[in-house]
Amino acid sequence: MSTATISAPSAAAPRADYLFLAISILATAVLVALVLLDGQRASAALIIGGFGLGVAFLKAEFSYTASWRRFLTRGEAGGLIGGLIVIAIAAVAVVPVAALWQGYGGAIAPLGPSLIIGALVFGVGMQLGNGCGSGTLYTVGGGSGRMLITLAFFVIGSVFGSLSLPAFLAMGGLDPILASDYLGPWGGLIATLASLAVAAAIMITVARKRGANYKPSRNYIIGGIVIGLLCVFVFFAGGHPWSVTFGYTVWGAKIFQALGYDFSQAAFWQWAGPKHALAESVLSDTSSLTDFGIIFGAMAAAAATKRYANAPWPPLGSLLAAAVGGLLMGWGARLGFGCNIGAFVGGVASGSLHGWVWFAMALVGSLIGIRLRPLFGLSRE
Amino acid sequence: MRKVYIVVTLVAFVAIVGNHLTSPSSGRAVSPEDFAGACAPCGAPCPSKNN
Repeated sequence: MSTATISAPSAAAPRADYLFLAISILATAVLVALVLLDGQRASAALIIGGFGLGVAFLKAEFSYTASWRRFLTRGEAGGLIGGLIVIAIAAVAVVPVAALWQGYGGAIAPLGPSLIIGALVFGVGMQLGNGCGSGTLYTVGGGSGRMLITLAFFVIGSVFGSLSLPAFLAMGGLDPILASDYLGPWGGLIATLASLAVAAAIMITVARKRGANYKPSRNYIIGGIVIGLLCVFVFFAGGHPWSVTFGYTVWGAKIFQALGYDFSQAAFWQWAGPKHALAESVLSDTSSLTDFGIIFGAMAAAAATKRYANAPWPPLGSLLAAAVGGLLMGWGARLGFGCNIGAFVGGVASGSLHGWVWFAMALVGSLIGIRLRPLFGLSRE
Repeated sequence: MRKVYIVVTLVAFVAIVGNHLTSPSSGRAVSPEDFAGACAPCGAPCPSKNN
């Protein structure tokens, strides 16, 4: 056996990027220590749960945006069904616990023009930005410079969304419709799981008609199960289903405020929850805690196997699409009451009808977004 | 891109820790849904309350 034959495998073996691995682990440890110093064990659990989600998303390459695009362009339903696995696992905990135990609640939202327009715009944005709420977080953590641009504009867009939301809510709408309010905790759970089964059947039918694959890959099955279990963990730690984008809105508002912008006349920031979040430490907001955990978890997972953030910057058109997509997602997420995670996964897993309305409208928006991608030099696939 | 990442990560981390140390932290972490009258994850009121 020649020396070349022996040395080849070790040359190809993955090498950790110890600098970024150390940064990610140290940063997470410091954040956990800070909240534990305040006696907040639940906050520490949320950061750790987020860290696990970041690792799981990155290792499984679990992408809602790409899955939706594959379904819309080729009819492939495996990725979408992987997403439904996440929701089904979360629903088993969220629907009954939110209905039966004090201190826990589901992700609910009103039905109306705000939800419809917000979800539609978000769908356009996610195809241009190349990631949804969770996808943006874990790809930023994974070392994608392009997604840094998407995240920055997502944050800016969500602040604009917070200023627009009260006017859209004034157009009217219906109060949230929750399955467990009508059918009880267990009937609500059965109805939620049945709605997921119907959705899966429709997706499989579409895939079969188009001669496409409808079976989730091994990565999506294992990733879906792990992410679903982590959703349950985050729910028990935070008292509500996992959400992502409210954290972005708070970060943006805090930055704007530091630059001198006054939110005291903005209706959104006078509602009790947002007002509290803007005044308090960023580590007092549940969605920010998991968001930070996801970024550092994905950073650790990426740096553990290769040289971190080593890819060149993408072309200008792609960066422009990232900026436009980020703005649209940010604005749409505030009007639509969240992203794929807070509105779709959290909403459907809570048995709230708004989750399915959000999904339908965001899917239409994605179709528009896919058609716009070539304008920025991006492939429709 | 690595240098950009190092700078962004450090600036963001300092901002997070700085914000935490200079802002009140009155108890357990909360979501806007925890407040009375919230009808959405962002804390928006219900349409029936607007009428």
